[in-house]
Amino acid sequence: MGRRYILLCFLGVMGGLTFSAIAQERANSATSSSAAAPAPTRAAGGTPAAKPSSATAATAEDAAAVERALRFEGEKRFRTNCGRCHMAPHKFPPRVMATAIRHMRVRALITDEDMRLILHYMTQ
Amino acid sequence: MQVTNANPSRRNPFRHGGGDLRPFRKANQRQSVCGIALALALTTCLAFRLDAQSPQSENVKPVPLLTGSAGFITTFDGGEPHIGPIVSSIVLLPLGQRWLFETRATFESDMVQEPGLSGFHGMVRKEVDYAQLDFIASPYLTVTVGRFLTPFGIFNERLYPVWIRNLQTDPLILPIGIGPSNASMGAMLRGGFKAHPQFNINYAVYFSALSTANPVNSDRFAGGRAGVFVPKARLEIGVSFQHLLQEERSNSFGFHAIWQPMALPLDVRAEYAHAKRGSGYWVESAYRLGQLRFLQNEMRRTQLVARMQQFIAGVLPSDSLPSVNTKQFECGLNYYFVDGLKATSSYGRQFSADGNKNVWTLGLTYRYVLPLGPAGSE
Repeated sequence: MGRRYILLCFLGVMGGLTFSAIAQERANSATSSSAAAPAPTRAAGGTPAAKPSSATAATAEDAAAVERALRFEGEKRFRTNCGRCHMAPHKFPPRVMATAIRHMRVRALITDEDMRLILHYMTQ
Repeated sequence: MQVTNANPSRRNPFRHGGGDLRPFRKANQRQSVCGIALALALTTCLAFRLDAQSPQSENVKPVPLLTGSAGFITTFDGGEPHIGPIVSSIVLLPLGQRWLFETRATFESDMVQEPGLSGFHGMVRKEVDYAQLDFIASPYLTVTVGRFLTPFGIFNERLYPVWIRNLQTDPLILPIGIGPSNASMGAMLRGGFKAHPQFNINYAVYFSALSTANPVNSDRFAGGRAGVFVPKARLEIGVSFQHLLQEERSNSFGFHAIWQPMALPLDVRAEYAHAKRGSGYWVESAYRLGQLRFLQNEMRRTQLVARMQQFIAGVLPSDSLPSVNTKQFECGLNYYFVDGLKATSSYGRQFSADGNKNVWTLGLTYRYVLPLGPAGSE
């Protein structure tokens, strides 16, 4: 009984780790592809050699647009995830929010992506 | 308000082994504990080797927190008044990028009028609800050891604190599957991840060892919970399972659902649980009146709540569950003064073979958050 139990535990853990590793590989490839995506957009924003100032402006605009999108998505995730169990709280100071979101990650099982977006939104 | 402990006989250590089999079971138990320890050590060590770790965001360093809730709840249970002050404090201690120590201690009293004495009297009950160490091994896996709230259904783990719950009375089926003191003593693997662009999956698997040290007693069981959350529909559904590794060695299972429709400020929550000691369900809906056109500032702070529940007695007795089939309907009104401060009231009618009765509650709850260090600028 004891050996069988240990074996089952071991197999379960190994299965979980394998699954985790595979999922991480997918996440890695997705992250690298999304990180590569903005480069052409920025290049298309202007001709760096000819108009450095317009290129800088375009980059700043892109960054602002990305920031707005992140904030919007963060707010959406915040409402969706936090509101599942309780009233979505007001903003807390950044370091407080960092602890609270780690606690909620464990307690409410929110995903890593949601955690990052919510933390980004709540600390802006 | 807290769940009373289960049948004392369930926690009697002499019932778990049983005569000559006790040494054999003890050896088995030691082997099982060794197995769990080995599995957890492997998990922890191997997890460090995974590449895509999730250092918590960016440059924000978490600060230790003292948080929790306080409440003053008055209950009229069948005409008998109870006064229930409660303070429940949580300490959150983040360690590095991946660790979190969290503990919750509750101080509460159930004060009643004693015959022949004036005023209300009662003992203050002190309890460490949980004290757990969490290790965020990867974006998909968190390892928890220590004393933790048993993840059976959603109420015990997520909705229990007085500042979160919409109605201050416990659901009748709450004691099913959560152990004699609402918590487990052992280890747990859990996590949540995006399995598909349309939905997330969350899971928790755990093992609890037998503990007879009151009030941190726990049963010996193993179980798990899995849920699917569809963010676009704001719908979560899940299932819980548990196998008791002592006494009758029975199985318990349950289902839960949470739905928040996009078009309405409405929360719908429901749970079903089944065990040998009883089964039942509760369905609760809470509606914020923010859509009304008059007194909008007040109306958006006001919440109407209704809950219907039913319990069906099982084949085995239990101290913490009703002894007979019971139905209960409750409706309530909550008012949120500010974020974290809430006035709460409810009326309920209970129907059972032991007699029908009214249950009224009236109270005030408050949630606090205190950083134990520099919190950073807002």
